[in-house]
Amino acid sequence: MKAASFDYHAPPTVESAIALLQRFEGEGLDTKLLAGGQSLMPMLNMRIARPQVLVDLGKIEALDYIRAEGEAIAIGSMASKRAAEDSPLLREQQPLFHAATLLIGHRQIRNRGTVGGSFAHADPAAEYPAVALVQDIRMRAQGPNGVREIAASDFFVTFMTTSLEATEILVEVRLPPFRPGTGWAIQEFAKRHGDLALAGIAVTLRKANGRCEDVRIGAFGVNATAVRLPAAEAALNGQSATTENFARAAAVAGESVAEPLGDVHATPDYRRQLVKVLTERCLAEAAARAA
Amino acid sequence: MAREFPRLPEELPTSAVRYVGKEVRRVEDPALVSGSAPFIDNLQLPGMLHCAILRSPHAHARVLKVDASAAEALEGVVAVLTPDDVKRWANAHVTSPPGWGTHCIAIDKVIYVGEPVAAVAATSRHVAEDAIELIDVDYEVLPAVASAPAAIAPDAPVLFEEHGTNVIQKRVYTWGEVDRVFREADHVVTASFRWNRCGANPTETFGCVCQWDLTDNSLVCHGSYQVPGFWGLARSFSLNLPANKVKVVSHPMGGGFGGKGGARGTDIAALLSRKAGGLPVKYIEDRMECLLAGGSQSWDRRYEASLALKADGTITGFDVKLLDDQGATTETYGTISVAKPLAAFTGNYRIEAARYDTTLVVTNRAPVAPYRGYGPPPHFLVLENLVDMAARKLALDPADIRRRNYIRPEQFPYTIPSGNEYDSGDYEAVLDKVLKLADYAALRKEQAAARAEGRLVGISVVNTVEPGVFDWNAYATVGVQGVGVPEGARVSFDVLGNITIVVGFNLQGQGQFTVAAQVAADYFGVDITSVKVTTAATDATPPHFGQGGSRVGVAITGAVLGACQKLEADFKRVVGHIMGGLPPDAIELMDGRLRVKANPAMGMTVAEVAGTMLGRSDLLPPGMEPNPTATSVWTAPGRNMPDEEGRCRSYLTAATATHVVMVEVDRGTGHTSILKYFIVDDCGTRLNPASVEGQLQGAVAQGVGAALLEEYVYDDGANPLVTTFVDYLMPSIHEVPITRRDHIVTPSPVTPLGAKGCGEGAMHTTPAAITCAINDALAPLGIEMTETPATAQRVWMRLKEVGAAR
Repeated sequence: MKAASFDYHAPPTVESAIALLQRFEGEGLDTKLLAGGQSLMPMLNMRIARPQVLVDLGKIEALDYIRAEGEAIAIGSMASKRAAEDSPLLREQQPLFHAATLLIGHRQIRNRGTVGGSFAHADPAAEYPAVALVQDIRMRAQGPNGVREIAASDFFVTFMTTSLEATEILVEVRLPPFRPGTGWAIQEFAKRHGDLALAGIAVTLRKANGRCEDVRIGAFGVNATAVRLPAAEAALNGQSATTENFARAAAVAGESVAEPLGDVHATPDYRRQLVKVLTERCLAEAAARAA
Repeated sequence: MAREFPRLPEELPTSAVRYVGKEVRRVEDPALVSGSAPFIDNLQLPGMLHCAILRSPHAHARVLKVDASAAEALEGVVAVLTPDDVKRWANAHVTSPPGWGTHCIAIDKVIYVGEPVAAVAATSRHVAEDAIELIDVDYEVLPAVASAPAAIAPDAPVLFEEHGTNVIQKRVYTWGEVDRVFREADHVVTASFRWNRCGANPTETFGCVCQWDLTDNSLVCHGSYQVPGFWGLARSFSLNLPANKVKVVSHPMGGGFGGKGGARGTDIAALLSRKAGGLPVKYIEDRMECLLAGGSQSWDRRYEASLALKADGTITGFDVKLLDDQGATTETYGTISVAKPLAAFTGNYRIEAARYDTTLVVTNRAPVAPYRGYGPPPHFLVLENLVDMAARKLALDPADIRRRNYIRPEQFPYTIPSGNEYDSGDYEAVLDKVLKLADYAALRKEQAAARAEGRLVGISVVNTVEPGVFDWNAYATVGVQGVGVPEGARVSFDVLGNITIVVGFNLQGQGQFTVAAQVAADYFGVDITSVKVTTAATDATPPHFGQGGSRVGVAITGAVLGACQKLEADFKRVVGHIMGGLPPDAIELMDGRLRVKANPAMGMTVAEVAGTMLGRSDLLPPGMEPNPTATSVWTAPGRNMPDEEGRCRSYLTAATATHVVMVEVDRGTGHTSILKYFIVDDCGTRLNPASVEGQLQGAVAQGVGAALLEEYVYDDGANPLVTTFVDYLMPSIHEVPITRRDHIVTPSPVTPLGAKGCGEGAMHTTPAAITCAINDALAPLGIEMTETPATAQRVWMRLKEVGAAR
């Protein structure tokens, strides 16, 4: 279990990293970015990933931040998940994102894994993409022509694939303000604590006069990317926040997942069941939190 | 001449036992916690090469061509081992029963995914792994045998063409009048069980460094060898060397649990060294190799079994039919695990008749290997679940049905139908203590309240007998020969009175070096820090076996005591001579002094005696050698050859434990949460209580894995689908309950100091205890889980079948 040979670069700035990406793109070399290595390193060692060049972003200190920018919170892509876990700013102002962080692997993994790495890796079972979908998190990508913003719904393409160009680097994720009074919940089911989820659900909703509105339900671990479940959202929008209505919306959620993944741990049917159960539990939890 | 050992710690020659039975700090631990233990991967030898192995991607295929020329041409590659080399230099591995082994590298065809087809020795592991990608192999893919039922199908493809069948052994053991007791039974409970593959995954995988001496035509193997002498002997067969030309140096191990697969890796590294002109070759099995084909898979079983009962709940018969998938070969001794249940076939119960109908087959799955427990864990899952099913049928409490069938304390020594003799026990006392510890009545009330809310909460009360101190005779039925398992120790004093104990095995985690030191320190009344315990290579140790079958704690106690007694006899001669020509029996050993019985003020310390022997030959009795060293080799007394039904006195000791477990099953996800876990055990004298507690809690962890999580899944073509720790799910601290424990002590009357084997008991009991608790939770729905692991998805599917899922 030793990686195949590759060239290694650890540039000190975003600009120098982009220059390297341009150069290797021009030379036709298969290049990968290393941003913590919690997924890529095992893939290298198992020779599943065999890039010719590895560009390590670990030396770019300018990408390691979590800060308020107006009402929003900006997270540099090389901030560790542990930093997100320990950030009072996120804990106080972005409770859903913070709770999602705590579900990622174990503390040892969060010490090294980065927020940007998780977004760019685009594992279908990852928590952040589902949160990004329900919260309209925006990605900032920097390339030779400058910085562009990408909406979460445009960012995740399919398994382990994003809309980042070969010469672009994800430099920041930007969390819009979390409206006070919004109810939220995130739950996942894994066979063991800290494993990749067989299925997970992230929910936000608001309550007005006892009725649910702006219901957003994101599912992860069940399709090639995280997905919103609009039919289930519609089933609850405008309805009163009752156990029966949560169960009805949850049933819609389970049925509305298109072709759930099947593997050695969970059949498509079981994933559908998990979506239903987790949606029901998340809706109840979120409604209880909503002001 | 049988020696009389102290039967209890209090009989040691000391007025106050200071170490045996106390929570002694383990002598092994400073090296382990400081990271200085010489694990095999730390070993660097001059000129050492690194091995990588090319493995078959096919479950069953003819090997038509192996072209290694491109690999040989790669810079840094020193030798490539091909089927032709192996055909010339090596033999197929010895197996029991004979004839089901293969060469270390496939020579004609591959019979499982992961079987080695070629290997490289190069200047680094990186280069070696680059090189194996350059080896070109042509295969002709054959239809695969994917499961045990497929193996016995009429026109199944055959793995070993010379046998013409995939059936290794079909054998029915009948003990007592089985047909009659079932005919006369008031109730018969029958069920099928499926135990899917799980297995041993030590922290450290197997590793070795082998060096072939081309001048002497001899071999030295350093490695993580659990049973060094045994592996050395096996290498002499597979590599065509005289047994005394294979020297095995065992290094400390990062765990073993039975499955550490050293045979192939050792043979491959040895032959690469031979081909590389005698340079040492290191092979470290990586985690994927370990999971794929490294001896980490065990117990692939299908059972149909029945209990016969009288109306009052008395169990009269136990009938077991087993179809056992051994994987592709039997060279890793998985067959033995089918024979071991004979040592405790009927568990804690008086059952007058039993039958064991066994069919062992080969398939194109990876070979199964020993794993902690070695056979009884699935067997007791079957027995204990049947007892619970009977209890439900007869509306008896699971504790009560067990209680009324227990072997009574006054019945020991007790011979079970399958022939083994249990040494001692008090099962009812264990049961009473654990019911009290758990507050069983309160647990049942809590369960009733939960059930009233529609929750699926279950409780189990499960007990097993742990056969301890294995003997080869237990495995005669699958072709192993011999009675007795010698385990030796050499105890020497130096001129200043320090003690060195040389044993034949190395550290594996259980703390047996500490046990040896405890015994010697109490025997000679010295401080434990003046006792050093060490191991030596196979050419410098007494006869030995090593860890396996819960025996080293007992066996090394016997060996050390035996050597201490020999030294004591010599010391008495010396002191008697010095004290004016007194006979040895006028001298006694007490608290580290050899003193004159008639005048205890007169005497010498053991250090003075040893110093005299080595430094004042003028004071010694005429003809006495200046050698305060003694070797003793222990084996279990009273073992015998098995009869035609496999019956014999095999495992020496019978420990027991009862687990009380409370679980809750989630109707929405099928997930099982372990709410409470209680254990009371009895393994006789607890030589080092802290080590016993560690054995219990550790085996519970492995039991949780087997019951709920761990499974090697194969597809219909015998291709493994679980090859990394992403998919093979061992429990972590989040899934393993911290158990509440207590114990009683019923000393063994047949072992030195009264200790019993205790390394496997919790692994025997935990999978049964957890599944029985799940089945108690599901009882109101009228369903049962009889397949392991009881994963959330499996349980949910069962709930869904009866419309009970949410």
